[in-house]
Amino acid sequence: MVAKYEGQKIALYFYTFAVLLFIVQVIVGIIAAGQFLYPDFFFLNFNTIRTLHINSMVVWLLCGLMGATYYVVTDESQTELWNVGLAKFQFWATVVTVLLVVLGYIWMGIVPSANKEVFGTLLLNEGREYIEAPRWADLLIAVSAIIFLINCFMTVQKTKHWTGIQGTLIGGLTFLVLMYVPGMFYTKSMVKDQFWWWWVIHLWVEGAWEVIAGALLAYMLIKTVGAKREVVEKWMYIEVALVLFTGILGTGHHYYWIGTPSYWLWIGGIFSALEPVPLLLMVWDAFRTTREHREVANRAGLFFSVSHALLNFLGAGLWGVFHTLPQVNKWTHGTQITTSHGHLAFYGAYVLLVLAMIYVTLPAIRGVKEFNYSRAIQSFWWMTISMVLIVLTITGAGMVQTYMERIIGLDYVAVKAEYNYWFWIWRIIFGFGFLVGVLIFAYDFFTLGKERETATIIETSKA
Amino acid sequence: MTTKSAKYLFIYGSLFFFVIFLGLTYDTMKKVDERTPPITDKIDAGKKVWHKYDCIGCHTILGNGSYFAPDMTKVIVRKPKAYLKKFLMDPQSVKTNATMPKLGISSEEADSLIAFLEWISKVDTNGWPPKPLLASVVGAGIKTLTEGQKVFQSQGCINCHIINGVGGTSGPDLTKIGVIRDKNWLYEFIKNPSSKNPNSAMPAFDNLKEEELNQLVEYLSSLK
Repeated sequence: MVAKYEGQKIALYFYTFAVLLFIVQVIVGIIAAGQFLYPDFFFLNFNTIRTLHINSMVVWLLCGLMGATYYVVTDESQTELWNVGLAKFQFWATVVTVLLVVLGYIWMGIVPSANKEVFGTLLLNEGREYIEAPRWADLLIAVSAIIFLINCFMTVQKTKHWTGIQGTLIGGLTFLVLMYVPGMFYTKSMVKDQFWWWWVIHLWVEGAWEVIAGALLAYMLIKTVGAKREVVEKWMYIEVALVLFTGILGTGHHYYWIGTPSYWLWIGGIFSALEPVPLLLMVWDAFRTTREHREVANRAGLFFSVSHALLNFLGAGLWGVFHTLPQVNKWTHGTQITTSHGHLAFYGAYVLLVLAMIYVTLPAIRGVKEFNYSRAIQSFWWMTISMVLIVLTITGAGMVQTYMERIIGLDYVAVKAEYNYWFWIWRIIFGFGFLVGVLIFAYDFFTLGKERETATIIETSKA
Repeated sequence: MTTKSAKYLFIYGSLFFFVIFLGLTYDTMKKVDERTPPITDKIDAGKKVWHKYDCIGCHTILGNGSYFAPDMTKVIVRKPKAYLKKFLMDPQSVKTNATMPKLGISSEEADSLIAFLEWISKVDTNGWPPKPLLASVVGAGIKTLTEGQKVFQSQGCINCHIINGVGGTSGPDLTKIGVIRDKNWLYEFIKNPSSKNPNSAMPAFDNLKEEELNQLVEYLSSLK
């Protein structure tokens, strides 16, 4: 498999930016973990570090998905990208916007009152979790996303070869862009503010992003083991259908305690309890397809794809369903239990998804048929074991917090400083383990396919 | 099931659920204002201060946020406003080991923020956060409280002070206060904290009757 089109190579721009931000995300993550013990040891306060940790993650995952989509659309349509120059422009425009936003965060981190109101919106930071980016950046990001969607759509229109995978992928991405809008207006009521805010956050990660994941999983199964398109696409439709059937009304689990009517306790409870079902179906789908096909074209790609399906179910599904019922959530809401779910869910569902897509497409982009995948597996185990241990420490901290604070009635600060002390220490240690995995992956990413070239060049020069 | 029927199931099924969700959103928007107190300009200004200083970057509110610092939904119920104001403007001046940095919040901004926090404490949250199970049964039938303990409870001292591991961390731990301070000092301090410590953010409890004050001092000085 060799990438024939320029459009496929655009993916590499996005992947590179994604991998660099991934490293940044993990380093600031370790700093944030350290601040649980020593809040003042770094020149930026926890809120800035956490914003960088989460925003860099959202951006690098989106960049990874956009890069992967450029690749998939040109490959599936068997034609050049509609406008390669526009894609490169969109990439650089995104990079510049992201860097400006980051500079703004750091500026505000140093001088908090610099975050002034300009034209009715805050200049540097909206002060809303996950969507901290100021309004001017929101608009630039939206323009970038629309350019991206138009480019992909027009590419498919060139050959009008709408495969199920392309349709679902572009549909999921359009849904993603649309769901950014509810985060772009101000409401006086904090209750309404959080209501619409969850439209963005929940309908992204448990809606649009899972639809994209379903489409990409189908694509990867076809590419890595040569699964039959007809069968794979049918299951893909069933999976993404169930994702949205459960996920849309599953938003209700965020509306239990924020001042919204009590009928959400029922709706949220029932539908979010069903949310793991499609994720389990994806696991079954991945294993069944792999078992049926003995010919593996890309072992690293397959390994990451199947692991993604499995950890998506564990992190997003199981670790979510533990505390999603209102009777449990009443006690755990707002504790470290949520943090533990967030970490395993994002890692399983989206980090591994993007890394899997990189391993499936990168060899073709670099023009190699086979590559040594031992480093890929090595980085996987470093990352996965470390992440599972990180999640277990945070889960432990959350259980202690729930018991001490919610059941016994101790003060938040006392529980954090005394009872959870060792959990914070272990989390930092495992954080470094995760960083090792990320660095191995980054090294593999930058060298994959190039080592062979060097070897060839040396041989030629000798001759 | 064929691929085509799976596709239609996906498209129309998702639309169906989204329409239901839209309907519920419409209904929720209609009902939310009845579940919250009215919003004045000051409360709105306070919400903007909340966003401006990225409070959610460390705290949670209505349980959503960053889990690094305490939840702010009911903070106004537990802490005196005068304490909160001093704390917001310069945390370490009132609590030397406070994690929160001095953000540059002005006096006016602090007032608005407190108005906003008062508003949020009155939102009907379907009973969240729940009252701690154990704390709410302590004293029920186990043993009779002394008069001093009753005053300690009724004045909400526990919201800021710890005794034997239970209580708030805003003020000093009182577990062994009887060793450090004599009755006279305690009496004067509770009546007017700034007479002993000009920086103290504790409100003056000069509303207490002489008898109650003495009972409270008696109880505190017994903590050794």
